Amino acid sequence: MTTYDLLLQQLINGLSLGAMYSLLALGFTLVYGIMELINFSHFNVFMVGSFIALFVLQSFGLSGQDVILTGLPLVGVLFAAFVVTMVFCGGIGMAIERVLLRPLRNVKGPAAMITTIGISYILFNIILLTVGADSKNFPNPLPAIRYHIGGAVLDFRVILIWVIALLLMAILYIFVQRSRIGKAMRATAQDAEAARMMGVEVDKVILMAFFLGSALAGAGGLIFGLYYNFTSFIIGFTAGLRAFTAAVLGGIGNVPGAMVGGVLIGLIEAMASQFIAAAWADVIIFSILVLVLVFKPAGLFGRIAPSKS
Amino acid sequence: MLTRREAAQALIAATATATLGKTALAADKVVKIAMDLSLTGADSEGAQRIKNGFMMAIDGSNEGNGIPGVRLEALVLDDGTATAGQYDPAQAATNARKMVSDKDVVGALGPEMSGAGKAMAPILSSGSLATITPTSTNPDITDPKFAQQFRPAGKPIYFRTVTTDAYQGPNMANFYADVLHVKSVYVLDDSGAYGVGMADAFERQAEKKGIKVLGRDRLDPKAADYTAILTKIKSMNPDAIYYGGVGQAGVKLAKQSYDIIPKVIKGGGDGVVSPTMLTGAGYPANEGWYGTRASPHVVGDQKAQQFVDAYFKKYNIPADDYTITAYDAALVMIDAIKRVAASGKPVTREAVQAALMTSKVPTIQGVVQFDENGDLKDRTVSVFQIKQDTSARPDDVSRQYRYIGVAPQA
Repeated sequence: MTTYDLLLQQLINGLSLGAMYSLLALGFTLVYGIMELINFSHFNVFMVGSFIALFVLQSFGLSGQDVILTGLPLVGVLFAAFVVTMVFCGGIGMAIERVLLRPLRNVKGPAAMITTIGISYILFNIILLTVGADSKNFPNPLPAIRYHIGGAVLDFRVILIWVIALLLMAILYIFVQRSRIGKAMRATAQDAEAARMMGVEVDKVILMAFFLGSALAGAGGLIFGLYYNFTSFIIGFTAGLRAFTAAVLGGIGNVPGAMVGGVLIGLIEAMASQFIAAAWADVIIFSILVLVLVFKPAGLFGRIAPSKS
Repeated sequence: MLTRREAAQALIAATATATLGKTALAADKVVKIAMDLSLTGADSEGAQRIKNGFMMAIDGSNEGNGIPGVRLEALVLDDGTATAGQYDPAQAATNARKMVSDKDVVGALGPEMSGAGKAMAPILSSGSLATITPTSTNPDITDPKFAQQFRPAGKPIYFRTVTTDAYQGPNMANFYADVLHVKSVYVLDDSGAYGVGMADAFERQAEKKGIKVLGRDRLDPKAADYTAILTKIKSMNPDAIYYGGVGQAGVKLAKQSYDIIPKVIKGGGDGVVSPTMLTGAGYPANEGWYGTRASPHVVGDQKAQQFVDAYFKKYNIPADDYTITAYDAALVMIDAIKRVAASGKPVTREAVQAALMTSKVPTIQGVVQFDENGDLKDRTVSVFQIKQDTSARPDDVSRQYRYIGVAPQA
């Protein structure tokens, strides 16, 4: 492989990672933007999502890497898997908000954030104790088509992941910008009190933000499984932490910022492994985060919000 | 060979008594054997097998009245935590303190993982509590060079029924050079005490054997993506990779290396000989992976078969070589307690430690004897390769790993 091929290959690797981080980062950003809450349960909603996707695919009779689908059956199965996983995860997100976080809404201080950490551990342990600790083999129904670009290899599934991630992000963006409830979300993000006075149902908006963020986490979980062909109860933490970093890097609360932040973190990770050492990837990612925050405290795309007191 | 038969016969006698009913008297003195295993997390399946192996020997002794006047009780502790997803050295240290502070505990078994062993050894040493590990292979713990760190009280307290990575890694390097004719290798580890030690030992011997070590990197076992580092390895075009580490990172490495560097020879130590490696990675990604075990291969042995059958009957899961080293470890511990009890002296930790030093116990793997540091005198390392056997259960380690032979001694 020439240096050019190598760079191209690492670019492909980094973009695939980045697509996943972006989807996850959006969930952090949506919830933070609206209620200024860092939702740590998001880490493990993503993990649960990958297991729901695993069960859905298994219910279609897919297991291991034996069954390959093409054409309409593939589209059908994937569509069903995405819909079920996203609706289910969205439901978990709504339940978390409605049952556990709403009673804490008016409690000052970090109580709500600590609650989300607790929820994260509950989800984590439920999966650990019911499904087991070992890594699970995730079905891969995608045909093994590979394109060679010079010495670099581009997998069909990588393209699929990019397309799905972009599609989901575009839908989210249009939804937030154009729809009525999207407008209500933006209004609530700017000033919840004023939005409420203008007739926006703030409770509904917050519930919606949890649904959307968690549904995207579910989609991220499914994509994770398709890309890596495994899942385990442990996957939420590293991916979640990097995605959270991506959200902060892009400017937490800023939707396009989360997307760009995710891609950047993915690229940094791939290039760090290539040119320095995989062992140093975290050091580099978090150093860049610290540097960005020192020089641009609101993140790359964020603006410092006026105090709401 | 008689020794293995004896062990198997003792076992059968024990199970026979078990069916007849408990014979232990209420007046028996209770003596506790503590255990530390990674029952939570990625290594839990192996831990369960090992625990069963320990329990089988202890139950056998109790039911067969193996030590007259003494009833053995197990104190089972788990060093795996949900947060770590595998063994947690901090939890292992806490467990060691629990063992030491329990006056009835005279001996210990475990730990399963060397990372846990490093945290436990100094605490056990200061509490004069000897342990026998059936699986932990990091050489530092028993190395006199590190005595200050791992046995500050002086006496050896860390005994093993497996050999160490000081042989496991280097013997595998010999196997790479002499049998597989590998000329260049890239070495990876999983950041754990076991994995790093293993990879270091392999790397040193590989260089001595003239294998070109193209590079060395460290995998984060909690990260999901190794494609970047594998792409880098691909660009270097090595004949082989060697991975020092356990299943958590191993599964992902197997899957992703199958996509990126399918033709490169891949291997590791005993950390890649596990059910997780079979079902987590799945065929065909894991097919062809080499792994080692720091013990002679006896599961295929006719005399060991009796044990394997009895084990399966009792626990309904298949036994593997480390189930046998676990059973053997418990036999050796029980033997030491028995000799102390028979001598009429009180069964203390110090007496059990002294008895262990002079052990010469017939077990399934052969006669177990320790050197002056507590290491096993038999230094056999066995090599295995994953080869799919569709007629067996996909997680059956004894069937899906094909025995290749003994790795050339370093």
